[in-house]
Amino acid sequence: MNTDPQSHINYYGCEPGKEVSPREGKRQPTPRANEARELYFETKSSVSMEFPYWYTRRWEELEGEIPIIRRAEALKSGFEHLTPTIYPGELLAMGKASFLRGSYPMPWLSEAFFMAAEDKLYMEAQESGKLTADTFTTMGKGGGNVTKSSGRVISIAGKFGLRVEEVPIMLEVARKWKDKSVDDVGHKYEQLVPGYKEKEALMRSVICMFDSGYTLPQGREVMNYYYPLQFGIDGIIRNCEEGIADVAGYPEMDRLYFYKAVILMLEGIKQWVKNYAEEAIFLASIEKQEKQKTEYLEMAERLEWISSKPPRSFHEALQVLWLFHVAVLNEDAISGLSPGRVGQVLYPYWQRDMKNGSIDREKSLELLECMRIKFTEIDCFASMGVVGGVLSGNTFNNLCLGGLLKDGTSATNELEMLILEAGITCDTPQPTLSVLYDEKLPEEFLLKGVECTKIGTGYPAWVNNQVALEFLIGNYAHEGMALEEARAWAIGGCLETSPGSWMPLELDNEIHWIPGGSAPATSVGVHFLNLPKLLEVALFDGMDMRTGQRVFPSHGYKLNSYDEIWQAFKVYFSRACHVLTLTNNIQHDAWRKISPSLVNSMLKPDCLAKGKDIGQMGCRYNTTFNIESCGTANLVNSLSSLKQNVFTENNYSLDEYRKALLANFGYKTAQETGSYSLIDQVPTEDYRDWQKIHRQSLDAPKFGNDNQFVDEIMKDWEDWFCDMTHNYRSLYDQPMYACQISVSTHGPMGAVTLASPDGRLSGTTFSDGSVSAYPGTDKNGPYALFNSATCWNHAKSQNSQLNMKIHPSVVKGREGSRKFLELIRAYLRKGGFHVQFNIVDSRMLKQAQADPDKFRSLLVRVAGFTQYWVELGKQIQDEVIARTEYEEL
Amino acid sequence: MVQTKLAKGHLFDIQGFSVHDGPGCRTLIFFKGCSLACAWCSNPEGISFFPEPLYRNSKCTFDGLCMKSCPHGAISISRNEQNNTLTFDRGTCAKCTTYDCAKACCSGALNIAGFEISIEDLYATINRDRQYWGPGGGITLTGGEPFTQPEFAYNLLKRCFEAYIHTAIETCGNVPWKNYEKALPYIDWIFFDLKTFNESSFHNLTISQSHHSTHSPISLILENARRIAKEFQGRLIFRLPVIPGFNDDKGNISEMARFILSTGRNEVNLLPLHHLGREKYNLLGKKYQASDYNIPAKDELQEIADQFASFGITCYTGSETPF
Repeated sequence: MNTDPQSHINYYGCEPGKEVSPREGKRQPTPRANEARELYFETKSSVSMEFPYWYTRRWEELEGEIPIIRRAEALKSGFEHLTPTIYPGELLAMGKASFLRGSYPMPWLSEAFFMAAEDKLYMEAQESGKLTADTFTTMGKGGGNVTKSSGRVISIAGKFGLRVEEVPIMLEVARKWKDKSVDDVGHKYEQLVPGYKEKEALMRSVICMFDSGYTLPQGREVMNYYYPLQFGIDGIIRNCEEGIADVAGYPEMDRLYFYKAVILMLEGIKQWVKNYAEEAIFLASIEKQEKQKTEYLEMAERLEWISSKPPRSFHEALQVLWLFHVAVLNEDAISGLSPGRVGQVLYPYWQRDMKNGSIDREKSLELLECMRIKFTEIDCFASMGVVGGVLSGNTFNNLCLGGLLKDGTSATNELEMLILEAGITCDTPQPTLSVLYDEKLPEEFLLKGVECTKIGTGYPAWVNNQVALEFLIGNYAHEGMALEEARAWAIGGCLETSPGSWMPLELDNEIHWIPGGSAPATSVGVHFLNLPKLLEVALFDGMDMRTGQRVFPSHGYKLNSYDEIWQAFKVYFSRACHVLTLTNNIQHDAWRKISPSLVNSMLKPDCLAKGKDIGQMGCRYNTTFNIESCGTANLVNSLSSLKQNVFTENNYSLDEYRKALLANFGYKTAQETGSYSLIDQVPTEDYRDWQKIHRQSLDAPKFGNDNQFVDEIMKDWEDWFCDMTHNYRSLYDQPMYACQISVSTHGPMGAVTLASPDGRLSGTTFSDGSVSAYPGTDKNGPYALFNSATCWNHAKSQNSQLNMKIHPSVVKGREGSRKFLELIRAYLRKGGFHVQFNIVDSRMLKQAQADPDKFRSLLVRVAGFTQYWVELGKQIQDEVIARTEYEEL
Repeated sequence: MVQTKLAKGHLFDIQGFSVHDGPGCRTLIFFKGCSLACAWCSNPEGISFFPEPLYRNSKCTFDGLCMKSCPHGAISISRNEQNNTLTFDRGTCAKCTTYDCAKACCSGALNIAGFEISIEDLYATINRDRQYWGPGGGITLTGGEPFTQPEFAYNLLKRCFEAYIHTAIETCGNVPWKNYEKALPYIDWIFFDLKTFNESSFHNLTISQSHHSTHSPISLILENARRIAKEFQGRLIFRLPVIPGFNDDKGNISEMARFILSTGRNEVNLLPLHHLGREKYNLLGKKYQASDYNIPAKDELQEIADQFASFGITCYTGSETPF
């Protein structure tokens, strides 16, 4: 996930470049998918007010109604009023909004941004007539982002376009939610938490970046499509009616309203699907080309059927999957809604169709390519800080492959081979792919995965099945999870291990156990704690030296030993976790009261059985809140540097270090220079006063080199962090756990942090992920990095993240694929949880030329030759770039 | 030749996850010092037996810290308005054992190529890497010429071989037979470099510091090749750097092919010339002598491969090998 298009070399999470240059085995999508992709590339992100308008209108009408019913009616009205739009050539219909890349704000979560920007938006709307067509040309920048207002389109958040005539609607709708949104209500009550002021100080100093409850209250979780696949919409409605009959008038009456709410919501979805079916019939009636006409009619027939009944074919099942995926996205601001192990969920249908000859491999591939385009079209309109700071339009719909079946044998199948193939032929950002690596997976499948990784899209990521199982059993056993059930897991969102369940899909009188998510959102709770900043605040006894404001009361340590620094850091870190857990729990409580999940609740076992929504712990597993960290390698390297330079070799006193940090080691700050990478930093006139301490800080042992001195610090931190998170309890009264993905926060969090004792300069970006080395500091090659990365047990954490860049020369050809697989396998066997690769293409090599320190460890491999890319010299680099580009042809 | 102490080896790099110098994923051990000095060498820091400063002008701030730190006065800076230049008395540097200059440097412009390492420390790294190689992997001794440090090479190979590690070497052949003799039973795989059969061009381009002036290097190399082919039980693959205009003529290739067949072996690996090492010459303050040679074209390589094939020799081109 990456936000800043300028720095897309800092890949982490699941970020593939948007316009990908494939390098080896380049293949083309089918003409149908290619046309759809071209259309996508030409389309801008757009906001439509349809859904929020009708949602709010209905909500207003039902003042005084029982909250969950009011919510259901509002959702129903929203779905019913979405204008259906079908594009020629589509095999899968439906989308979030009436525009191709449409999305919309959800002011019931947070309206604050619109209220704050009211004047500006009105002004721009009035100015809009004066904007000339010239400005339109600037919109090309940034892919589909609408970065500037032009013509009759207003730019919102530098990303979305909104038609001028909808601006007043947006503001009017937003106004209705003032003091009623999850944000406003949560804020009112979070202030009741003792020590609340400290929370505000933490947010101001950007030790923590985001609130949780109203920003992206759902997501980072795995979908479950079992109920609609098995029972169809009408079947679920019948189940709910039976539920009502069972509970009406009995204690725990909330179940009654839940069932009623699900029925209302499903009626809305049913109408939404029917509207699409009607649109398809209309389009067929005016279509002149016979082939397209037939396709519209077939689509109408499929949609009409699944608007009430369970799917009959692979194609229909895929349409059901997609329709409910979008339906969930439309009920909340969500990122990281992962479809899960799609190839295993749909396999029974596909196998049957293959057997009876109603589909072949070519047709399947085309459908899977169309699915990729559909997932790529998803846009997310979350609250502003999140759109800009975390997502950057990425929605992280992680599709998982591999893993094990319920009985513990390899779960991969032929359909998954086709999903990988579609990932190669149709290389779009979504859905991103992850392989749940297990020793039991067949070699052919793994090598197919390697083939896909090699095209340079960044997917599939490689994730360790066994480590995940150990994590799940460790954290969900108290909720009844056993090994067999743990095997149903998948990655939710970017890299969040998420619990699943096996569901008995009955098809032709045979039971197929299909995996699906069975827990609410993860990566809710405490969002992203800035580790290097916390160390900085500890070194300055509670002060944020950037703002001059106090964050914490004095910790009282004299910091005369390394151990005292470590203790002071731990004290502050714990304080931050404490207050943020409590305030975020309150926000989530406001969320579940005002905006309870209905679509997702209906899908997730065992909400329907229990008659409870997700917020009432209707899910089978509920231990999903976590505490997220950012800047691990910089924290560990900084501790290492202090330990060596202040306490072991006594090169400097701590006071001298403080002065050096405040002086930014004699460099201008990143804010002054406008660049956030170490290489571009400009020395001040007196940098010579600091160059020795800076050099010794840079030379202190760094994580990623198999150096015991610093790796022990890493292990101390991880062991302590992973354990201490269990001391905090979520809204659902479950222990929390550690989540270690930086997403894109290492940029903004680095920006507010002074120079750190590891030699990193003020304002510059942190290392990404949690076991990635700081760029340029891993100098002993991948095996040393692997040893460092696995110095602690990754199963203690929800995840760990290792990003590597590989030069194409290393993995070229058939032998290259095999050796690449050995590299991946070796790391995972050692206990690494996740590794992903950027097979650098010429674009990235060019950036490496401009910014060599970030690519310090990128090796160019030719027989018998040893050299790092950055040391090749410009002339040679140019040659290699030219050659790389040639090879792409 | 420098005869290193039994205990320590003199290397300039250890490189894990190397994929082109032997089967599987390997750790390459680059020995410092070579008995040839080929003009096209892509690892020029491996030629000298002595530690050498690697100096990157573009990073230098000319603050003089290195100059002040050098106890031998081997560094000088000349300053003028256009540009500053820093020069080393590299003869003096070769005798250095303390490298104060690199320690004093604050700009990252100065590093030292070459370090000493004990068998124990090197083996610890190999043992670490071993868990990541996967099936078929191992170590490859390269350089430089590993058998200019025969005791260290022998001790290392024996230690690894006895620990069931797959051992490979890459050698230029230009060392006395006795340097190989003891080590041969502990080697699984040999890359043996052949360059040319033309005495004079060989001499012009590969010799600057031959240590066996009484022998012709070519005859020594070929004799070693024959004996290895005969006495060595493992896989022997000849390697031929393809330098257009130097050794790619049909006559040389035929002679090469006939020679290979005469040894009773039949595999050759073409290594097309590349200029990736050029920057390293700058860092060493040396002139790169092979700039004028073109990188061989694809079809030219194919022709050579076909020629070998016509002799019944299996020919692999570049990294396109089945191992």
